[in-house]
Amino acid sequence: MITLNRACTRARAHRQVTTRRWLSQSRLDRLAEPVQFYISTSRDPYLNLSIEHYLLQNSAPESTILFLYVNRPSIIIGRNQNPWLEVNLALLNPVSNDTPETEPPGPGIVDLVRRRSGGGTVFHDEGNVNWTVICPPKEFTRDKHAEMVVRALRSCGIERSRVNERHDIVLDQGTRGADTELEDTHVTPYTRQAAGVRPLKVSGSAYKLTRQRALHHGTCLLASPNLHIIPDYLHSPAKPYITARGVESVSSPVGNIMLANERYIDAIRVKFAEMYPATNPIEHVEVGEDWLDLDPVRQGYEELKSRDWTFVQTPQFTISTKAEPSINLDMELTVRNGALSGGTLCRRNGEKILDLSEQLQGQRVQDVDSWSVTVSNMFEGIATAEARTLAAWLDTMLPVYGRHNSK
Amino acid sequence: MAAVIAGSGAAVAKLLQRPAQGLARCSRQQYLRLRAQHIQPAAARSFTAGRRGPEKKYTEDHEWIDISSPDSASIGISTYAAKALGDVVYVELPVVDTEVKKGDAIGAVESVKSASDIMTPVGGTILEVNSVLEDKPGTINKSPEGDGWLAKIKVSDAAELEGLMDAEAYRAFTEEVDTK
Repeated sequence: MITLNRACTRARAHRQVTTRRWLSQSRLDRLAEPVQFYISTSRDPYLNLSIEHYLLQNSAPESTILFLYVNRPSIIIGRNQNPWLEVNLALLNPVSNDTPETEPPGPGIVDLVRRRSGGGTVFHDEGNVNWTVICPPKEFTRDKHAEMVVRALRSCGIERSRVNERHDIVLDQGTRGADTELEDTHVTPYTRQAAGVRPLKVSGSAYKLTRQRALHHGTCLLASPNLHIIPDYLHSPAKPYITARGVESVSSPVGNIMLANERYIDAIRVKFAEMYPATNPIEHVEVGEDWLDLDPVRQGYEELKSRDWTFVQTPQFTISTKAEPSINLDMELTVRNGALSGGTLCRRNGEKILDLSEQLQGQRVQDVDSWSVTVSNMFEGIATAEARTLAAWLDTMLPVYGRHNSK
Repeated sequence: MAAVIAGSGAAVAKLLQRPAQGLARCSRQQYLRLRAQHIQPAAARSFTAGRRGPEKKYTEDHEWIDISSPDSASIGISTYAAKALGDVVYVELPVVDTEVKKGDAIGAVESVKSASDIMTPVGGTILEVNSVLEDKPGTINKSPEGDGWLAKIKVSDAAELEGLMDAEAYRAFTEEVDTK
């Protein structure tokens, strides 16, 4: 500890530096503790995921960590997913188009985030509390911590909750049957009676496995005000026309658990402490924007916010008008690393008209400002009317997104 | 062997009187003909018997490397790892010409909603990647130690190969891991 001379302004400035250094030191010490519990005060999905990644990379290999965070409205796609296929991008910036007002009102601006773990696309908002558990690989199973969350939910009276075969958490619907084993987190008294009635998904899981650590994170729909429009956001008009490598989402009907955030957080805290008894009762540590002081957090934050990570990371895909009866042409485009890598324009009878021009090879889809201009350059000599039709179609399928407020 | 290539019944009969290793060196055409006549070659040796076969070494992270040619050594994940991962639905391969150190993440696979890092067993330069996996990621599950190779690497420090396990030691290691 550095002693301070309060009489001197230089010492005051020095104190600010030492305070920050002391905080950093205690932060580093904490990362070495066997059991750690963090809650974020930030609603920024890019920051929360960066803090999570920092905890994954820097916590002691034998430690176990619980991290809870809530994000402002955002769509989180998996590491190997295709945003054009999974998301209705045109809906994400309501200020820039004519989406009709819904009743109740929609979520306003919605961020698009690609996370570092696998799996499918989910919608986050203030009614959803995300949970992350990081543990050593030898302790890891895909169900273990989902089961912990189900025990937490059941302790709040949510007896319909269970872990399903996809490691997600669902609420069984239908009428109550015979009692089941309370300890069995994979079945409820409603499961057998619910034949033909699909359970409602309330939590989706995804994982990231590194050499030293295993991370499991999941959502938890407690009381989202946006359930009625989540399906619109997660349904892309381009879906029938895209053939993609990578990972497609498995769609499920969702529902709210109807539990207050605080009750849920307390229940998770208790169940986590039961699984990982620490020598001192775990007090949670708040994390937030101050963690941007850490270089790796800031770098991760910038990367997650970058359009390159969001779009260029997309696995290869082709988009084709073949399945669109109202267009009298077969246009097929191949997009690799988020950029046009090939394309053909043919008549419906198969007769080729044009290939993608050399000039437009490597054109990043995310950088297109106007498809009308781009289509004319993509297929040199294309008839005006045909270019207009294709541009209008591409405006719907691969909408210009965030070009005017991008970083 | 000239007599083997002859292909007439008499030549084959004469061949059968020779010791078994003769048949092992016969041409594929000859072998197929013999097999059709329900004559099994006594020694089932590979037709690449002349070339040096693959020599695999393993890491505790369940990667393998074929050390038979360190100038262009294939690497991949073991059958044990492929089974543990589940159905691989996507493979991220390294970029050719990247310089890597032992233990660096050179790619990732996705299976059952998990993004799993793949580490390189040795340091060196990536020479080639297995583009088959871009279209058919399931090849890793079908043939993790054969067609499902991930990349070829030019080993920079042959000494790093010394610390790796051979097939026997690796088998014992996985059995130990399973019983823990």
